[in-house]
Amino acid sequence: MSTTFFNPEPNDEDLINGWYNNAIMSPQEASNNLRKIQEVLLNKSPNLLPEYLDNILGQFTQSTNGDVKKVLVGFIEEACKYDENLMPKVTLSLLMLLNNENVALQKRVIQSIITLYRRMLIAICKASCVTEEMETAWGQMNEIKSKIIKFIDSDNDGVRTSVVKFLETVVLLQSYPDPNESSKNDFTLEDVPLTLKIARRRKLEEEANTIFDILIKFNGSPHISSANLYICIGSLTHIGKNRPDYIEPVIHALVELTSNFPPTLSMTQVSTVKKKLKTEFISIIKHPAAHDYIEKISPILIDFGLTQNEINKMIPKVDENRKYTK
Amino acid sequence: MEPISDLRIAVICSSNMNRSMEAHAFLAKKGFLVQSFGTGDKVKLPGSAADKPNIYDFGITYDEIHKDLLSKDKTLYTQNGLLHTLDRNRRIKSHPERFQENKDLFDILITCEERVYDQVLECMENREPVTNSIVHIVNVDIQDNLEEATIGAFLISDLCMMLSKSEDIDNDIDEVLHDFEEKCKRPILHSIAFN
Repeated sequence: MSTTFFNPEPNDEDLINGWYNNAIMSPQEASNNLRKIQEVLLNKSPNLLPEYLDNILGQFTQSTNGDVKKVLVGFIEEACKYDENLMPKVTLSLLMLLNNENVALQKRVIQSIITLYRRMLIAICKASCVTEEMETAWGQMNEIKSKIIKFIDSDNDGVRTSVVKFLETVVLLQSYPDPNESSKNDFTLEDVPLTLKIARRRKLEEEANTIFDILIKFNGSPHISSANLYICIGSLTHIGKNRPDYIEPVIHALVELTSNFPPTLSMTQVSTVKKKLKTEFISIIKHPAAHDYIEKISPILIDFGLTQNEINKMIPKVDENRKYTK
Repeated sequence: MEPISDLRIAVICSSNMNRSMEAHAFLAKKGFLVQSFGTGDKVKLPGSAADKPNIYDFGITYDEIHKDLLSKDKTLYTQNGLLHTLDRNRRIKSHPERFQENKDLFDILITCEERVYDQVLECMENREPVTNSIVHIVNVDIQDNLEEATIGAFLISDLCMMLSKSEDIDNDIDEVLHDFEEKCKRPILHSIAFN
């Protein structure tokens, strides 16, 4: 009892203040202190989050330590996952963090934006009233998007990989769904209210088309690395299978690739890419939307070692195809 | 002990018994952050004949398998090295773990045969990414016997050492794998997924 009396347990605010001050005083300890602050704010006392968020953003966005900024990005992402209403408060910081030459930080921001862009678009579509703050934040998010699109030409392979994943996400969000398939988790252009002024369907769709073209171009780039080609093939197939409007150019791009591998790939890298193409062509031919392209895909699968009989078994029954007849 | 590198590594074979555990032991000794897994439906071990394997569910402990084999045929399972392998394994962790049931995040997943590589890829591609960070999946073919497992563990350790020297593996991995492939004289498969 007496011990408790003389050494009372510090409350969460005292702890956070202590870590916050330590992080400022000794920058080498800042990452660890910021992680501790995140743990308490998100898992123990989230009621304190609004009180501390501005100070944390103000302090650590300016840090000269790249690792601290990476931890900050993680903190921002988790905070927004906890409370989507915080998103308008963090977009400017994310934009500033992306405007950095540190490649690891750029990559970290892009990876977070893959999640946050989706959440923000859904949030503004569901909001009963779009506030001025939300509109400003959506503008900043679009600025972030434009910058990320330009990073497709980054010198860094890992940055380009993350960009491809982001572009895939944007295309899927901003295009119309397969009318024959409905998935509860699949947010599409159909979920964007026609009355929403700050994100018009037609503009979002045009942007998705432009971004899709960037992905197609990247996939056909002669100097693409095998890892990025692998990812891009997967992204295009995913788009094609979920958004039948894109299936034709996707199949065309992949067919082109089978006869035109980038000259920079080694023998084993070509094997890896071929293996990926085989898997993806098999998944495409099983999709009813690919019915019109069976004759184009079958010879490729035969080249990959499948028999005509095996291919025939994969093709969906006629009844299912009829649904796709325009 | 401070880890030799920040890379979170998983070594994966079929039953999490021989190849992945040999590499797990070796990498852990070198100071890497390593875990090991199997991708099979069951833990399968050689039995008294080719058509009589010992089959267990994932979840059973190495200790329980050790006791089971000891009671079945101590001489046979001592001679073929299984009891020794199980004894080694139970000093590292309690039981074989199935990759598909694990939710931990890694930077590198190293598989020991193409079938396992395919299963890992299928599993990763069917998962909804949480952090969108990049994970590299690398296959090094290793035959499932004690001698090859030892050689395989050396090779995997060399690979991890080479990767740990890179400050940006997402950018450097093509080059590292090219050098490793020339050194180990085995074809390497490499792909990417998202955590």
